[in-house]
Amino acid sequence: MRIKEEASRLLDSEYMVPAIFIILSYFAWQFSGLTGSFVFNQVVTRFIRDGILVLSLIIPVVAGMGLNFAITVGAMAIQTALLIVIAYQVEGIKGILLAIIIGVLLSLVLGYVIGRILNRVKGKEMITTIIIGFLFNSIYQLIFLVGFGTFIPVANKEIILTRGIGVRNTVDLGMYRNTIDKLGLFKIGELEIPLFMIIIVLLFAAIIFYILHTRFGQEVKAVGSNMQTSEILGINTDMIRIKVMILSTILAAFGQLAYLQNIGMFDVYTAHMNADIISCAALLAGGASIKKARIRHALMGIFLFHTLFIVSPQAGQNLFNNAALGEYFRSFVAYGTIALALIINIKNENKFS
Amino acid sequence: MENILEIVNLNKSYNGIPALSNINLSVKAGEIHGIVGANGSGKTTLMNILFGNPIIRETGGYQGQISFRGNKVNFKNCAEAIRQGIGMVHQEFALIPDMTVGENIKLGRENTHSLTDRLFGRKYSFIDRKQDYENAGQTLRRLGISVDVGIKIINLSVNIRQFIEIAREIDRTDLKLLILDEPTAVLNKNDGLKLIEILKDMSDHKIGIIFISHRLEEVQYVCDKVSVLRDGKLVSQYAKGNIYVNNLAQDMIGHTINKAAAEKREMENKPVITFKDFSVKMPGEEVKNLNLSVYKGEILGLTSLSGHGKLALGYGMMDMYPVDGEVYFEDKKLVKMNARTNIIKGMYVLPDDRQGLGILADQSLESNIIFTGNQIKNMFIRDSAFNFLGFIDHRKTNLHVYKMMLDLDIKCTSIKQKVKELSGGNQQKVCIARALTVDPKLLFVAEPTRGIDISAKEKILNMLIEINRSRNTTIIIASSELDELKRVCDRIAVMVEGKIFKILSPDSSDVDFGLVLSGEEGVDCEKL
Ligand SMILES: Nc1ncnc2c1ncn2[C@@H]1O[C@H](COP(=O)(O)OP(=O)(O)OP(=O)(O)O)[C@@H](O)[C@H]1O
Ligand SMILES: [Mg+2]
Repeated sequence: MRIKEEASRLLDSEYMVPAIFIILSYFAWQFSGLTGSFVFNQVVTRFIRDGILVLSLIIPVVAGMGLNFAITVGAMAIQTALLIVIAYQVEGIKGILLAIIIGVLLSLVLGYVIGRILNRVKGKEMITTIIIGFLFNSIYQLIFLVGFGTFIPVANKEIILTRGIGVRNTVDLGMYRNTIDKLGLFKIGELEIPLFMIIIVLLFAAIIFYILHTRFGQEVKAVGSNMQTSEILGINTDMIRIKVMILSTILAAFGQLAYLQNIGMFDVYTAHMNADIISCAALLAGGASIKKARIRHALMGIFLFHTLFIVSPQAGQNLFNNAALGEYFRSFVAYGTIALALIINIKNENKFS
Repeated sequence: MENILEIVNLNKSYNGIPALSNINLSVKAGEIHGIVGANGSGKTTLMNILFGNPIIRETGGYQGQISFRGNKVNFKNCAEAIRQGIGMVHQEFALIPDMTVGENIKLGRENTHSLTDRLFGRKYSFIDRKQDYENAGQTLRRLGISVDVGIKIINLSVNIRQFIEIAREIDRTDLKLLILDEPTAVLNKNDGLKLIEILKDMSDHKIGIIFISHRLEEVQYVCDKVSVLRDGKLVSQYAKGNIYVNNLAQDMIGHTINKAAAEKREMENKPVITFKDFSVKMPGEEVKNLNLSVYKGEILGLTSLSGHGKLALGYGMMDMYPVDGEVYFEDKKLVKMNARTNIIKGMYVLPDDRQGLGILADQSLESNIIFTGNQIKNMFIRDSAFNFLGFIDHRKTNLHVYKMMLDLDIKCTSIKQKVKELSGGNQQKVCIARALTVDPKLLFVAEPTRGIDISAKEKILNMLIEINRSRNTTIIIASSELDELKRVCDRIAVMVEGKIFKILSPDSSDVDFGLVLSGEEGVDCEKL
């Protein structure tokens, strides 16, 4: 009976999902036939590429607002900023800095708007952020498909479609590509470790840790636990929630910047599209839930999720001898993670203490 | 002394039903002002208005004038009231369940590091958790309690939570006016006394204090002035020297009270439930290797000082915390604790945490009362071929709920009223009504009279005695109200450090109880 109890405690714990990931990854890796060093290098690349995006999800979860699928809005903000900078041909470090400034300001405004909207739909934040993501996506598409070149004049004709209206599908970030990834690049045998970018991701993790350990952070936690009580304790819950959304959106903008500069170019109309799903899946894979997320969940989750993400297509291909299967496997892994984590979480929520 | 608070012509109604009418009241700096009144007489409503509680705005605001320290005020939210130096100990507690004891006590006033203070301002400065926990621990020790400040609130008993709710307010250094809404409802006399000493000290420092309590002796002892509320009206005021328990009771209830008392009797010692080396791992309220037999048809009192385990026994029987040891119910060993199967077997536990476990706040009075009985025993299903659909027999339900409402004196506008709209004491009565409805063989109630006024209290005690005598229900009452236990119980078990220390006869003297409660041996008492 003791053993059974222990087993059920283990099943209910936050290590359940990560454990499943470790086991699945291991077998998928065996079948994929990929070398360990290849997988490692890929995962490290994903870590520096997606790390900040995943981290941007933590504060909203702590504030009780669930997974913020609207981080795509932050991603679109920085993409908009980059397009503006490129359109007016501000180059080099100056260009990057200007893009950051514009991106942050845009995120601030958009985060405020999202926060205001979410304050009207308390209890239904997650579904609302999904819809907000879709909404802003169509506005974004509209601006760059028809706005650029018509009522928004553009100096840099290279990024405009030949018909003179609308931005090209892909825009090269050649002038910024991999500039910082290569900083402090370590090599141990076949393993490559981009030290500088890893430190940047960890720095953002530290910033979030810091924010959560301030008076403001305590208020965020309180609001996340019980809004009514927080109000009685003198906390302006609506304001806290707005600030949380602003923070998350700004962090997402930085996250998307890290992502784009690592890839080196971007698909104007699609680069941001999966940022939410992949990041949420990674966070959940690390053992977070829609009610509870810690920094270690994010950091661990990126490794676990992306290992499976990288090896599973190849494994599927080898197992079923079908090259087209790989991509299906990927989306199966991403959505499967979210579904599994949600089910397990809801089960755990009904438990006391 | 100048008036720190002045209330002029205050009126408040909920959905057109007046809760307060024409209240005029003032409190001086350094005065301890008692407010007494029956359940639902408007005490909490008045305090919520003073504290800017959003519930008041949501239900249509109030009429009248309030001045605080010479300025007219109309607080839009609690934050404003807090900023002006008002503090409140809430009847239903304002604690964040997922945060630790220390975090709750220091919330909004955390110690921060001076370097980051200068860099980012206090709101965005790094918290000094160690210092916070130290302060929180000190404040709790002033109240005479030692609890690990790193434990989350959700794991603690209501009893301990009450201390934390109080500690949060007395830890403040900027207080001008402190409102305490039934702070002693679950505390035993000794613990209550420590709080009163602290309040007296605060009043010496010119802090105004409003003290709400159903314990009239306490009010008589501590207050400089007392206001009596009845049905939302201020019916009388007494100043120190003229405060007498009898007058207060007469003014608030309007009739004299007959105290409940069970007749003494000889019991057959046939155990109905036996605990062997039973342990419950409830933080701050642990039961350790308890051995106890409860006899068929008796009323057993269970008492202890705060944190010595009297409340955890019930939680253990509901499987809310990990348990260990053996339990025999009607000579059969219980393999696993499970609230649902226990109810089917005939055991019902009414926990002290009515907010967390007892109540469906958004549901009506009626469905709350019949809930458990109907869910598990199908007691109110209409008899028909479609039994399995679970149609409710409304006639039967109405009849039952009305009887409960009258018997327990539940104050409400209709039996369809939502429970969250009832006053604290009336919510407690709904919980009791639910337990009585289940009609178990063994009933475990924790703090049954918590927050109940002096008249309804006797009604509840009488009901317990009645179902015990007429249906032979075995009852265990865990309570810190020794006086009540002595009047209704056949035996009183005193727990010390999670074990049964001694079982006393209800006739034993207060001195004996005092010694046994604090774990002193050498008391002459017949072992029952
Ligand atoms: N949110 C609400 N909606 C409707 N009616 C309410 C609400 N809150 C309180 N009331 C009603 O107002 C009256 C006064 O309630 P209040 O809570 O002030 O009583 P109280 O004196 O604090 O009682 P107790 O001693 O039981 O705590 C009660 O009749 C109650 O039903
Ligand atoms: Mg009240």
